[in-house]
Amino acid sequence: MGMQGDFFQLLKEQGYQFGNPAAAATGLDIPNATTILALKYRDGVLVAGDRRATAGNMVMYDRTDKVLEIDRHSVLAIAGVPATAYEMVRVLEHSFKYYRRTQLQELSFEGKLRAVSKLLKENVPAALAGTGAVVPVFAGYDHEQEAAKIYFYDILGAEFEAVEYAVSGSGSPTIRGILHYVNTWGPQPLAALPEEQATVQALRLLSSAAEFDSATGGVNRELNLYPVVKLITAAGVQTIPDTNLKQLYERDVVRAL
Amino acid sequence: MYEEPYRWIEAVGNRRQYLDEQFAMGAPVVALAYADGIVMLTVSRGTPKLYEIYDRIALGGMGHPADLEKLRFSLLEMAHVEGFNRSPSDVTGARLMKYGLAPTIKQAFEEIYKAPFIAKILLAELGVKPERDLFLTINYDGNFEERRGWAALGATPAVQLEMGRYIDSQSGYAQASLAQAVEIGLCAWAVGSLAQTSSGTSDGESSSIRESAEKSEAEALPDTTALLAHVRQTVAEKSLECVVLERNGPGSSKYRALRADELGRLLPPAVRASDSH
Repeated sequence: MGMQGDFFQLLKEQGYQFGNPAAAATGLDIPNATTILALKYRDGVLVAGDRRATAGNMVMYDRTDKVLEIDRHSVLAIAGVPATAYEMVRVLEHSFKYYRRTQLQELSFEGKLRAVSKLLKENVPAALAGTGAVVPVFAGYDHEQEAAKIYFYDILGAEFEAVEYAVSGSGSPTIRGILHYVNTWGPQPLAALPEEQATVQALRLLSSAAEFDSATGGVNRELNLYPVVKLITAAGVQTIPDTNLKQLYERDVVRAL
Repeated sequence: MYEEPYRWIEAVGNRRQYLDEQFAMGAPVVALAYADGIVMLTVSRGTPKLYEIYDRIALGGMGHPADLEKLRFSLLEMAHVEGFNRSPSDVTGARLMKYGLAPTIKQAFEEIYKAPFIAKILLAELGVKPERDLFLTINYDGNFEERRGWAALGATPAVQLEMGRYIDSQSGYAQASLAQAVEIGLCAWAVGSLAQTSSGTSDGESSSIRESAEKSEAEALPDTTALLAHVRQTVAEKSLECVVLERNGPGSSKYRALRADELGRLLPPAVRASDSH
């Protein structure tokens, strides 16, 4: 059993349960809401997410990190119930490491995708009960095909490959339209954007989402709060530092009066 | 017949002798601290002997590949379940050794109706700060040791002491660059390898360890040129394996196996020369 390198199986044998259904009490506000996006740009994939966590009308936290690195080459951006999402990331992180260390080879990109779907399927009862719905976007670099890829999911675990971009969360309807417009009629398609311009687009998109969705946190310059933006290329995952985001935001996002 | 205590002691003694013979031809393993972390190296004949156990823990082994594999899996399982249920910082080399490896190995060694593990294991743990780096070794009988700075696996404890004596003679090795650390490691490896071939299996019994350690105190260590020449000879037929735990490496996993081309650049010229022919 252990020889298969299946960490999730190992956890289950030890009595671990993931995605237990629990009926949501009426009137209970479960923290969720978000805007996350992933888009293919010139050198790979950019993944970004706002930092607000809300429960009903309440802003719970404004420094949430929803773009989580699972390993050096893959990222899971999460929308939905954070408790389930963080647990998913923990399981995935350990599963990929355990596989690599036992089998002495990296889990294939397809294998990683399967692991994400599998967890979402395990989570279906909790998702339907209303206490654990998670709708993530998975992005990573596929070394076999030498390409960065984006996948998005529904709450039942179905997996879809995004050709150009993917969005999720309560603010996503707003930016989905913008992404379509920019990609189709903008000066150049998203896939041709260099790193800096792709980052500017991500900041503009998240600011737009925050404009129309109260559950999405935009940029808060007074508190020096910027979205999380990560880039995935053949070299691995790289986080854009806040200082760079600040600079780009002030130069290309804020309209001078 | 083992019910009598005397018989049992005799049987354990026989087992010791049998195991010492198994390790006589094994390749030593060296691990030492350097400026940016820990480097571990050995020379292997096909099957790898150095492995990643957890974010900051590496394993080096001597012995039968099947036994090493079994112990490696039990460590991996323990480390990952612990890291998941508690936190990665709670996975420590000392706990893996004391509660994971040692009881299993000791029990197998003393259950004389069953086969013992033909394995000696070295765990290197990278601390958050250099002074927290820890090295643990365990013998085939379940006896384990904790050290700072370096650790070695060799056919006998005397060989291991000799290898350590070489590393200790290189003052300031903990501040060495990776290339310097690789050279020191290779030389210590050669000290062990030469000591094993020259002494054969003579000093397997613990009584002679102190004696031989004292004796060797007086003897001068072989010079670097001779040691590197020995490495060059060995590497020509076998393959050099080298891994590092890098304190400032990216991400949470600090373990990295050096690829052949990178290792090629790090090797001292005296060893590298063998690549050309």
